[in-house]
Amino acid sequence: MGKTTTTVNLGAALAKAGKRVILIDADIGLRNLDLVLGLEKRIVFDLVEVAEGRCQLRQALIRDKRFPSLSLLPASQTRDKDSVSEEQFASLVDQAAQASDYVLVDSPAGIEGGFRNAIAGATEAIVVTTPEVSAIRDADRIVGKLSDKALPIRLIVNRLRPEMVHTGDMLSVEDVCEVLAIELLGVIPDDEEIIDTTNRGEPIVLDETKRLGAIYNKIVRRLEGEIVPFTSFGNGYRQGLFGRIFAGLKAG
Amino acid sequence: MHVLSQTGDAPTTETQRRATTGETTKLGRAIVVTSGKGGVGKTTTTANLGTALAQRGARVALIDADIGLRNLDIVLGLENRVHYHLLDVLEESATLDDALVPDKHSEGLFLLAAAQAREKDEVDTDKMRALVASLRERFDYVIIDSPAGIEKGFKNAVAGAHEAIVVCTPEVSAVRDVDRVVGLLGNRFRPQLVINRVRPQMVKKGAMMSVEDVEAFLRLPLLGVIADEPQIIVTANRGEPIALRHEGQTANAYHAIAARVAGEDVPAPRVEFKKATLFERIFRGAKA
Repeated sequence: MGKTTTTVNLGAALAKAGKRVILIDADIGLRNLDLVLGLEKRIVFDLVEVAEGRCQLRQALIRDKRFPSLSLLPASQTRDKDSVSEEQFASLVDQAAQASDYVLVDSPAGIEGGFRNAIAGATEAIVVTTPEVSAIRDADRIVGKLSDKALPIRLIVNRLRPEMVHTGDMLSVEDVCEVLAIELLGVIPDDEEIIDTTNRGEPIVLDETKRLGAIYNKIVRRLEGEIVPFTSFGNGYRQGLFGRIFAGLKAG
Repeated sequence: MHVLSQTGDAPTTETQRRATTGETTKLGRAIVVTSGKGGVGKTTTTANLGTALAQRGARVALIDADIGLRNLDIVLGLENRVHYHLLDVLEESATLDDALVPDKHSEGLFLLAAAQAREKDEVDTDKMRALVASLRERFDYVIIDSPAGIEKGFKNAVAGAHEAIVVCTPEVSAVRDVDRVVGLLGNRFRPQLVINRVRPQMVKKGAMMSVEDVEAFLRLPLLGVIADEPQIIVTANRGEPIALRHEGQTANAYHAIAARVAGEDVPAPRVEFKKATLFERIFRGAKA
């Protein structure tokens, strides 16, 4: 759905705006945040070692040279998700929060132990979904889980293809919002540039000329409490192709 | 070899036919479709492979092992026909015959749906293994759609399987995750690779890893390459797998993959691309 890419680019955009940001990779065993940031060769200690008290948080944090106020707490690649408890995770996030303005926790996929850990110390949540029926159903389930924890939730719709929305082949942002009934934080169109920059370990917000960079910057302003109008990507068709699915989703 | 008994095997027509003709059959193959990373196309691959195998005349059971986040029913267009699910069968509150949903489009294809309101921890791994074993007596293929990740849900999905198909997109993060999953699977699953969501134009520009890059890193037998095309999203949203079609690059690719899974000697489907060189740094990093 783009959780890791979103985490990296929001983190980088926040850091560019002068905020102190710590990114935490909660995907123990399948870490990727380090790769997407291009920091994979600089890992010395990881999250599990901090949680087990084998090193200090500041020793494990990797500072991103391109954004001096951005650091990464990498996940362990060779351990299991249950090697850290929810309590340990929550206290780790608390520690990181004391040393920064924003802590962004990149959750693993699914709703198992890794997800429960990732939300353990969080005070708000950003749900990332693509405008596909299956992704929206998953997001709806996640929203339910987060609501149980009484976390404020906001939504990022990722990989929107406006031309497909226009032809009625993709759900529109309005449709997605109506199904999930949570506040919209941002809409990110499907853009080939993001694949390229992600593979190269360069957050897209580094390049002022990229249109997605501007979109992440707008999301950051919304996180900061500013009211920023949304770019319109067109309305979809409520009838026809999506009639069945849309009705089903709303009912379910 | 296993001789099918007449009792309790669904669907009865096929069972009766085999019983009356005295035909014997061997156990079906149990294949888990997995990836580590989420959103790379496990469910789409499962639905299309199952459809393509059924279109070839095979009897196929698809199991959605993503308890709590089920999707295979939507992609197959069967969401309104699911009455019982995997956990009902494991907990013996429904029989397999009650829970197996016959596909709308392909004869011989059945879905065992996941429970949406339950947790993955509730699955008993031994019971899951026994369930897959009993399905193997009744179907030529049992294809298990694994959840993302490598936690309990993954372990349960893998439990009864004997073969694995790993789905990867040409992204460094997906490649790394597949590599980890292959390591966890160990040797006995003989994992085969489907490379999904390839955008030939981007590969040409050097802005996406090429199929060769992915192959060179993972060193797995290639089943096939699937292009990233809007029709995949459209067909998944509609609940009509693209493999129901008999023309078009992607439909043909799924039919070729199914033929390869069935043991036919056809070349792995590929999409047009040109070798890119942009990813040497990443490969060095990922290999180190």
